[in-house]
Amino acid sequence: MKILAKEDFVTFVNALIRNSGMEIDGVKAKGERFAFGPLQSADDLRLDYDVTLLPPKKYFLPQYEQLMSFDLSNPFQTKPVQFPRKRVIIGVHPYDIVAIRQMNSYFLDTDISPNYTQRRKNMLIIGCDVARPQEKAFFGEMGTGSVNYGYDLFLTDLGDRIAIEIGTEEGGNLLSYARNLKEATPVDVQRVKALREANVRKASRGLMVKPTGWHDLLEKNYDSEVWKKQSDKCLACGTCTLVCPTCFCYDVQDDIHLDLKTGERTRTWDGCLLRKFTQIGSGEVFREDILDRYRHRFHRKGRYLPDRFGFIACVGCGRCASQCIPNIADPVNLINKLFEETSHLVTDTLSDPHTITTNLPQPLNINETELLQTPQPATIKTIKRLTQKETLIELELESRKPLGHVPGQFVEVSVMGVGESPLSISSAPDGVNFEIVVRKVGDVTTKLSDMKMGDRIGIRGPFGKGFDVEALKGKNLLFIGGGIGLIPMRSLINYVLGHREEFGEVTILCGCKEPREVLFPDEIAQWNQRGDVHVRSCVDKCPDGTVWDGDIGVITTLIPKVKFDPKATTALVVGPPIMYKFVNRDLLKLGMPEENIVVSLERRMKCGLGKCGHCQINGVYVCKEGPVFRYKDIKNLPEAFM
Amino acid sequence: MKTKVAFFDFAGCEGCELQIANLEESIVEVTKLVEIVSFREVMKEHSDDYDIAIVEGSISRPMDEERVKRIRKQAKVLVALGACAHLGGVQRLGNRFTVDENKNEVYGTANPNISDKNEYFETPRHKALDEVVQVDYAIPGCPINRVEFIKVLVALLTGKKPPIPDYPVCVECKKRENTCLYTIGGVCMGPVARGGCDAICPTYGNECEACRGYISHPHEKAQLDVLKEHGLSTDEIMNRRTMFTSRYTEQAKEAQ
Repeated sequence: MKILAKEDFVTFVNALIRNSGMEIDGVKAKGERFAFGPLQSADDLRLDYDVTLLPPKKYFLPQYEQLMSFDLSNPFQTKPVQFPRKRVIIGVHPYDIVAIRQMNSYFLDTDISPNYTQRRKNMLIIGCDVARPQEKAFFGEMGTGSVNYGYDLFLTDLGDRIAIEIGTEEGGNLLSYARNLKEATPVDVQRVKALREANVRKASRGLMVKPTGWHDLLEKNYDSEVWKKQSDKCLACGTCTLVCPTCFCYDVQDDIHLDLKTGERTRTWDGCLLRKFTQIGSGEVFREDILDRYRHRFHRKGRYLPDRFGFIACVGCGRCASQCIPNIADPVNLINKLFEETSHLVTDTLSDPHTITTNLPQPLNINETELLQTPQPATIKTIKRLTQKETLIELELESRKPLGHVPGQFVEVSVMGVGESPLSISSAPDGVNFEIVVRKVGDVTTKLSDMKMGDRIGIRGPFGKGFDVEALKGKNLLFIGGGIGLIPMRSLINYVLGHREEFGEVTILCGCKEPREVLFPDEIAQWNQRGDVHVRSCVDKCPDGTVWDGDIGVITTLIPKVKFDPKATTALVVGPPIMYKFVNRDLLKLGMPEENIVVSLERRMKCGLGKCGHCQINGVYVCKEGPVFRYKDIKNLPEAFM
Repeated sequence: MKTKVAFFDFAGCEGCELQIANLEESIVEVTKLVEIVSFREVMKEHSDDYDIAIVEGSISRPMDEERVKRIRKQAKVLVALGACAHLGGVQRLGNRFTVDENKNEVYGTANPNISDKNEYFETPRHKALDEVVQVDYAIPGCPINRVEFIKVLVALLTGKKPPIPDYPVCVECKKRENTCLYTIGGVCMGPVARGGCDAICPTYGNECEACRGYISHPHEKAQLDVLKEHGLSTDEIMNRRTMFTSRYTEQAKEAQ
């Protein structure tokens, strides 16, 4: 430990500002509160602050961040993003350092966030001990009141002098700007220790369940009345997620500039308390009830992220607690209420909530991730209107490589300047080209529907887990496709029919609202004519003036009309969200074992990488672990079936 | 050929049009992209041949209804500009009183020329544009946000749906790292008000009055509770709730 007298510390900070050539940011007063911002002089620096309005996550995942800029005349030659020069941020509290460590684990676990990596590499962190914890802080109880790594330098204000710990070599090099640097005396070391111990006491608020027990408490009280009582007061304004140092969910949007020639793709903060967070193109909102959104936030922090990364995604900063207007976002309050209203014993299910393995940015394996990160140009080879709303598009990657997908997977399709849309792959995985089907619902799908042969679009992917084709071999298959569920299902059907001898009996049930919405009438007829497949289709209704010779009724009415052995058949169910509940129920009633039902679920898949947060079904990322699931594996997830 | 754009105004202060006239260097870019054929605030020329009509102001008199219907017929795309066209504006507060009450309050009773027979003084109810004609898009705000106007224009010219946010003002307010007014003794309509303004009022210490209307599905009950808890009387709450948003209050009454 080193020591600098106060005046020498001031000189040190001013020397950094003037001579280091780096951006020097630190905590400054903002009105009656505090915020990180650029320092003009050491006088601006307020190491005596309680908490900043926003956490330092704004430096690593900015509120608005350009992901790429492009020229519409050649949109796939994107211009590289300009990152700011090296920056030092002074005054990061230990709990925020823990949050940054969590952020590293979150964004670097699969080496897929070049923007984050670059920003993290450009940043030096000078931590500091909390001088006076804010009223709602509880980092003392979260075990985040002190840190021994995750910083380059670490400061403790001892009144007349500043104690400095060196965390990294790069941090140590900064001290070359300091004068009169001394070794700390045993008394100094003792004073630092005492200050930290006092902080743990001060930043404790009577949390009744220690962090390692949160997982169990939340899991057992998923249906507690507490959620309803609390969320009745919730404004769903998103504040708690926006000010949280461990909320990382984001949205991405495209803009075209006023010249109509250039544009950019921007990443912005999003939050699971906002209604649109789970809304998909066709309009469904998967967490319509504020209760579900309110509960999701706590479960993500106390269960879903701990399950994946081993840390509780709450560091006890108290920002949500002090900024929530109806005062319901406070984790201490919530945890205590849950504990008080339930009498069961809470057990520790996590050992140490803040044990994190990843620390510093890892090098990227660009080759592996490029296809997932950056839209690859693809050319429209054919385009064919299927119905009033749906259009079939055949694509070829300009690299001339096959997409390499599995039936059931999806791609993110970019129309540069308009945006990105997740679309199922509809063709079987043979040949170089692949097909998608677009339903005209939003900007991207409308643009796609109006495109011509030879037009270029961007493709990321393929994403997600498709159907386990190997496991299906030798089995009797019952396909049940409702509406546009037939789009991904067609990929598997055509694969199965192309390798017919490898599968048992095949029955295909498909249904949609009315005859003019039938997606592939000719292809369905061909399947039917083969003789080795049993096909049956239905429409909900047949309006006057339309012709229909199949069944009329919802898709569940077809199930009793076909012969199959429920015990020896695997059902593949894809359709609109509302369909699963009824189809699954009927199949189970017939005696089909749970493990024989396979479903593909629709959610708002935005990033495809399990990072943006939109597609989560409880703790499961549909874009990564789905969209194809075994019913057995997700039936206990309350958010899976509406 | 360039898209032809015409601006029109009804009951309102024309401040939203002024925002467009004040686009400074961007206005040059705008005139490169579109041909402005009518814009009373900045030019003398007028043409009835236009593709996009951008209409400011609330619709109050029968003669206004006729006029806006004519505009609707001519325009391929009709855009409501600003809070008056989008919601009915602050003048909609007058709907709470009878026509006579309003007339007497404003003009007194001495002048016999002010009668129902004078069409200029015919002041029935203030309505938003979409209560009279079909509106394709609305640019909310009092006044509008200039940056957003540009975005909407670009969207219209490139065949996108104009990107009007549907999240509360709090989102942008937090991103700007403002101190929440509620935490320093103030109150604000931000939690239920539609964002897109970059939280300009709270940023400068003024409470949000929801000039951009509500988000879809606002949690109104929770907002009322919060205002009550912050010491507002029923009257004060009503005033805050009707400044720009009496449209919703009227609708709620009708629904009852």
